[in-house]
Amino acid sequence: MVKEIEKVMPVVHLATVVPISKTVGANRIVPAIAIPHPLGDPTVNLKAEKQLRKDLIEKGLAALETSIDEQTVF
Amino acid sequence: MKLEVGDIHVDALEFGSVSTVEGHTVSINREELTSYLKTLDNRLTSLELNIARPGESVRIMPVKDVLEPRVKVEGKGAIFPGIAANGNEMVGCGRTHVLKGMAIVTAGKIVGFQEGVIDMSGPGADYCPFSDKLNLVITAEVEESCTPHEHEAILRKVGQETALWVGRMAKDVEPHEVTTYETKSLAEQVIENPELPRVGYIYMLQSQGLMHDTYLYGVDAKQILPTLLEPTEAMDGALTSGNCVAASDKVTTYMHQNNPVIHELFKHHGTRYNFVGAIVTNENVTLKDKERSSAFTTKLASQLGLDAVIVTEEGYGNPDTDLVMNCKRLEDAGIKTVLITDEFAGRLGESQALADSTDRAKAMVTCGNGNPVVDLPAMDVVIGHLDTTDHIVGGYEGSLHEDGSMTIEIQAIIGATSAVGFHNLAARAG
Repeated sequence: MVKEIEKVMPVVHLATVVPISKTVGANRIVPAIAIPHPLGDPTVNLKAEKQLRKDLIEKGLAALETSIDEQTVF
Repeated sequence: MKLEVGDIHVDALEFGSVSTVEGHTVSINREELTSYLKTLDNRLTSLELNIARPGESVRIMPVKDVLEPRVKVEGKGAIFPGIAANGNEMVGCGRTHVLKGMAIVTAGKIVGFQEGVIDMSGPGADYCPFSDKLNLVITAEVEESCTPHEHEAILRKVGQETALWVGRMAKDVEPHEVTTYETKSLAEQVIENPELPRVGYIYMLQSQGLMHDTYLYGVDAKQILPTLLEPTEAMDGALTSGNCVAASDKVTTYMHQNNPVIHELFKHHGTRYNFVGAIVTNENVTLKDKERSSAFTTKLASQLGLDAVIVTEEGYGNPDTDLVMNCKRLEDAGIKTVLITDEFAGRLGESQALADSTDRAKAMVTCGNGNPVVDLPAMDVVIGHLDTTDHIVGGYEGSLHEDGSMTIEIQAIIGATSAVGFHNLAARAG
């Protein structure tokens, strides 16, 4: 899906297993937290989890705006 | 470490008034065992025992786990150490008796969605390594208020306690066949047969959580750092399955007790290679855990001075990354690897077989593709619940037909593509 979207617009692959993102050919990769909960963390309190999620999304948005020449892990 | 495994060959399993092992016949007092099992947890609402024999028109589903009845006769500990009562000693030494030819199967309402089918006859039986066993099947249900995790834990306990209860019947029986497995202390083992390559086994355990779990001496494998395992410890039940991962490549407790890689490595030990031992590692859900476990595994393999290893993976998808990481790190450390895994390459085998890849993987053995579709005819008797067909992995809307027949991917069949090689599929006869 990442590769199809990239044909028409920049895309960030926000996923836990970076090696798989690399293998499938994603260009902008943002590492996520864990496979069952990529944008959350059940071990922290709700406030901290919200902040964590916000930080990851902002990191993703920044990656979208960043010009790259090669596969990049942010 | 020396373990004598005494097999009592079972060719008949029946219910009777007393529980005995006579010659090749195992007789079980159904009421006695049922009553005992019902005491194991007060959240059990029903529990039924049935026997399914090879060739019968019987379908068992959804199956959670398959176990082999064994008992410690000499030596410390108990089968399923860390779980069984009074079983907190190390196992793998002494003598163990096995009721060979029969199995304990746990079934009942679906817990997750990754439980499978055992057909005792017909085309489904060709794919399942347990269709030729005499199966004692426990169909157990629990209170509606139980969470899926509680449900799984209760049925896991019922399966293990049944295997222990039946296994104990073999304690004073003279086995038909005894095989001795021996590994020495590391100091001795590593220098034994110096002309032969030192070979180890990297034993990857499913540990993703959410009911994808394996236990080592009762410890949840997601919480372990990779560690050394005497191969004979597996035979005594040191590893138990708590997972509901895809039926075809879940390593059931029975497969841990009879791991074909370990048995094959023992077979040519001292002639073709020096089998030094096994390293168990996990398949966790964070990248940090995956990297740490793979690095730790490689360190242990290097410490053992291994020249080559066989690596098996349980499950598919993200654990493919654990497999690939292990391969890369081990090869970088100068240790040759052979990887054993099954594939999910689409129904016609046209898709990428694994989710990750590396050009360092020079030798791989496939256990088959889990995606091809088979038609399984209706069976006269269903033990369990047929209505789960559309919801198990490998099933889809419309899988179950009105006459009770089903069309499913072979990944829905227990052990069809077993990732430790405990399966029937082969590219050629023999």
